Amino acid sequence: MIEAERALAFEGPPCRPAKSTVGMGMTRRAAEAMVVILSLTVAAASGGAKEQAVERWKAVEVAAAANEADEALLGRPLSLALDAECLYVADAQDCAVKVFSKDGRFLRAFGRKGRGPGELTFPSGVSVVGGRVYVADKLNYRIQIFDGEGKPRGGYPVPFAPDKVFAMGAETLLITGNPTGRRAGEMLLHIYGDAGRLRWEGLEARSSSDPMYDTFRNMILVCPGEEKDFYVVFRSGDRTILRFAGTGVLRGKTPVDERHAFRPLDMPFKGPKKRLLGFCWAAARDRGLFYLSAPEPVDGKDLGPGRRLSVIDKDGRLQAVVELPCPVHRFVVEEDRVFAIDDEGGLRIFEIVR
Amino acid sequence: MKKLAILALAGLVLVSAALFFPMAAAGHDVNECDRDHRDCRENVLNMDAPWYKVMIFLTVCDIGLGKCILFM
Repeated sequence: MIEAERALAFEGPPCRPAKSTVGMGMTRRAAEAMVVILSLTVAAASGGAKEQAVERWKAVEVAAAANEADEALLGRPLSLALDAECLYVADAQDCAVKVFSKDGRFLRAFGRKGRGPGELTFPSGVSVVGGRVYVADKLNYRIQIFDGEGKPRGGYPVPFAPDKVFAMGAETLLITGNPTGRRAGEMLLHIYGDAGRLRWEGLEARSSSDPMYDTFRNMILVCPGEEKDFYVVFRSGDRTILRFAGTGVLRGKTPVDERHAFRPLDMPFKGPKKRLLGFCWAAARDRGLFYLSAPEPVDGKDLGPGRRLSVIDKDGRLQAVVELPCPVHRFVVEEDRVFAIDDEGGLRIFEIVR
Repeated sequence: MKKLAILALAGLVLVSAALFFPMAAAGHDVNECDRDHRDCRENVLNMDAPWYKVMIFLTVCDIGLGKCILFM
């Protein structure tokens, strides 16, 4: 009998092997359990490392220049735009565009309430390119164009109340509009060419039997990109960033990292309970990065503006989180500066410390 | 007594609503009601208010539209 057979014969029958041991007196089952525990620990640790990979950046307030003119006060600032030197703010209450230096000093304002040339009624969007200032003159149902000094330089009517406007180059404007919910096939995006010629309309409004639900599902944010591309983010219910070419062709959809989480809100009215999934309160884009502010719970069950900006790269990955000192309603970003409107409608300037 | 209180409250709410919304002047047509409603919605959607409040104000716009059409 060879040595191994002798050993088996000695220890017992092969159909019921004795408990094998794995060093230090440990049984095989105990060892397997240990391996499972260890692998779970490693997985948890690597998950934790992933969470830690998200950097946390602080935003420090920059002391803005003191503005004593009454005109410098913002009544209802609804849109911000930057050019090389200035910040432009569309103020719907004062029916004006107010211009500030990038350190927050008030420079000038133009526009006043009315329906004539150079007059505005509820300006809700502003964009600047090539020394021209384009204004969504919402309740006059038109786009108005000004030069840098605020002199009117024409404009054209549009068949809807223009909400935001984005200049995509000389004479090409992307205009957003809120759907009325009364017609099928309303479009959220419109591209106009020179002299107000409609070039393209797209992104059909979502519609269901609940117009209130649809109103929220159709709220979008637009971020201009490079080479006339632009990006669309839905404020609720959808976590993808849509990329469009300047011609209106959809170029891609990028799902956003789930660590920028949905914030649910139960809708209060009739019928079966509907839940809105709040995704983004405001958005901006700068140097290839998206800055999305997540809505945050306010007054118990409501959702309001947040104070955290998720920095998302072009692949949808969460790169960092910027903690702001206060909630902001809207903002634009340029390099390390965030120009924002706070809860009181005041202009705030923050420096991101990476 | 309880029913009376409920009726009184309901009446008060209706009267308040009727007084609160601007009266549609005679000669308003349905297009004007529509346009007012659109403007009301646009105003609310740019309120910067939390979403629950926005829903309530949008409902107020819808009530205003109903009233405008009823009193046309």
